[in-house]
Amino acid sequence: MVRFWLALFALLISAPVQAQDKLVVSIWGGSWRDLVAETVAKKFTAETGVGVDFITGGTIDRLNKEKLAKGNPESDITFTTSHVGWLYANDGLFETLDTSKIPNATNLSEEARISPYHLGAWAYVYTIGYRADLLKDAKFESWSDLWSPELKAKLAAPDFDPSHIIAVSALLSDADAAHWEKGQDKLKALKPNFKAFYTNDANSQQLLASGETPVQIVLSMNAYYMIGQGVPITLVIPKEGAVLGIDTVAIMKGSKKAELAYKFIDTLYDPEIQADIARLKKGSPAVLNAKVDPEIAKLPGVFTTAAQWKQQINIDAKLRAEKTAEWRKWFAENIMN
Amino acid sequence: MNQQPFLRIFTTPAALCALGFVAAMVAVLQYSLRAYVPGSLDPGGFTLTNFADLLKPLYARVFLNTVWICALTAVSTLLVGYPLAYALVHIENPLAKSALLVIVVTPLFLGEVVRTYSWIIVLGNNGFINSVLRGLGLIEQPVQFMFTTFGVVIALVHVTLPVMVIMLAAGLSHIDRDYLRAAESLGAGPIRAFLTVTLPLSMPGVIAGVTTAFAWTFSAFATPQLIGGGRVNMISNLVYQLGFASFNFPFAATLCVAGLALTIATLSILRLAARPFENIEAH
Repeated sequence: MVRFWLALFALLISAPVQAQDKLVVSIWGGSWRDLVAETVAKKFTAETGVGVDFITGGTIDRLNKEKLAKGNPESDITFTTSHVGWLYANDGLFETLDTSKIPNATNLSEEARISPYHLGAWAYVYTIGYRADLLKDAKFESWSDLWSPELKAKLAAPDFDPSHIIAVSALLSDADAAHWEKGQDKLKALKPNFKAFYTNDANSQQLLASGETPVQIVLSMNAYYMIGQGVPITLVIPKEGAVLGIDTVAIMKGSKKAELAYKFIDTLYDPEIQADIARLKKGSPAVLNAKVDPEIAKLPGVFTTAAQWKQQINIDAKLRAEKTAEWRKWFAENIMN
Repeated sequence: MNQQPFLRIFTTPAALCALGFVAAMVAVLQYSLRAYVPGSLDPGGFTLTNFADLLKPLYARVFLNTVWICALTAVSTLLVGYPLAYALVHIENPLAKSALLVIVVTPLFLGEVVRTYSWIIVLGNNGFINSVLRGLGLIEQPVQFMFTTFGVVIALVHVTLPVMVIMLAAGLSHIDRDYLRAAESLGAGPIRAFLTVTLPLSMPGVIAGVTTAFAWTFSAFATPQLIGGGRVNMISNLVYQLGFASFNFPFAATLCVAGLALTIATLSILRLAARPFENIEAH
């Protein structure tokens, strides 16, 4: 009996030590956590014997927590969107990456090399998704088709980030995101077509699935998820290109497991892992040598070549980080209300 | 005097909580007076620009909208809740009384998001109400409930109804029934007895219920966010959008401070308006 209690005591005191030895990864919850756990983390643990713990939460929640823990980070690795990554970097929360320790990163697409602190993990697009069964005669060959009077009160867009439609409006006004003011009148002309603005992925899915907003500026991965659930969504890439979105990975400054973190990132860029991510999430691999299933590779919004990456509308992540507040405020004052 | 040590022990946790709240409020106030620096999480120097920005039509409109939605919700909840509270107090059958109480109180046990999603299913274009109306041949095109103030108020009434009913029932149960019997013995019918005896004597409960519903609705977030779909915005939604979508924490803090000031001002006005009813004795 004494042996039993001693064994139990030893187990209890050893458990925290084992947890401390694990690599801690900060990422969004739900399917994003599962995606990394089932692909990168699984292979990383198999190769190194080191387990992976996850800290999950919303983009800004995790940013605030790490800001408060500056110098003694809660996680070793952080996944976040490219422009929010710049907020981490500007605040000195990310380590400057030594890419020589990430051999697989040599195959990264040019657009995925966001900064010296964070690199693209995978990509997706914000583009036009619509319910062809509810909009019988609708055709979307260009972003300008969204301005059709027949789409009055049928369109939804994200309320948390208007950068996509702001960049598109600028583009249609012969400007770019840096000179977005030139597209303001164009965007104001779209106002009658907006019916709602969605708050999060679940809200977007609900609005499309119920047909409340039969056309959306939608995240490609979300659209594919809904298609998988049986919602008849048609995803199109307009002739001007879709708006590129990149989720990134970085090592937290102050991480005591930087070497393992580099190994983790290198595993992330393993061509097979990248192909798996493309298969599971219908996203684009960040490296150009991933062997993506041809059926996945031909899907709208999945790109595997350098030329395809360049065809997308790419808003500079640093510009987006600096302009998001201004854009959001203007959008709220002039379009949403 | 011997009770003093116990009093100190018991009030210490409350005092610590209060200290925490005060510290948080000071932090919010401090943020509201700082400049927003694009691309950075740290605020800039001290400025009053954030408060000047509040005068823009958009923000003034959202503040007015918030007060309007709160007022509509409080009054609608009162109209729905009063008969329920009246029935709860006057029903003699214990089984029926328990059933009514369960129906009234159950929404308190559901999360706000779950409750709101259920209303999306009910109010949507292909939702329950529109399906029934279409099935009965009363409409051809769906009635637009979603993304309207009406839809938001319906869902908010559901949120505030349990509290309103409980407060009204407490007020109604304190009315001495001898007053009603006296009114009836003097020839008053049920309606007149209700209007001249029950209603005036239940005013303290009405005021408490309306004030609570109003204050509670002021901080509503998930319901206007999901049912309003960005078309119906309350102050909390703006705070979220500015803080969590735009990273403009200083201006979000300014909205919080202004919202708090507006809540205090509105509740003070309500209290002043209700003062004549405060001295009504129920028994």
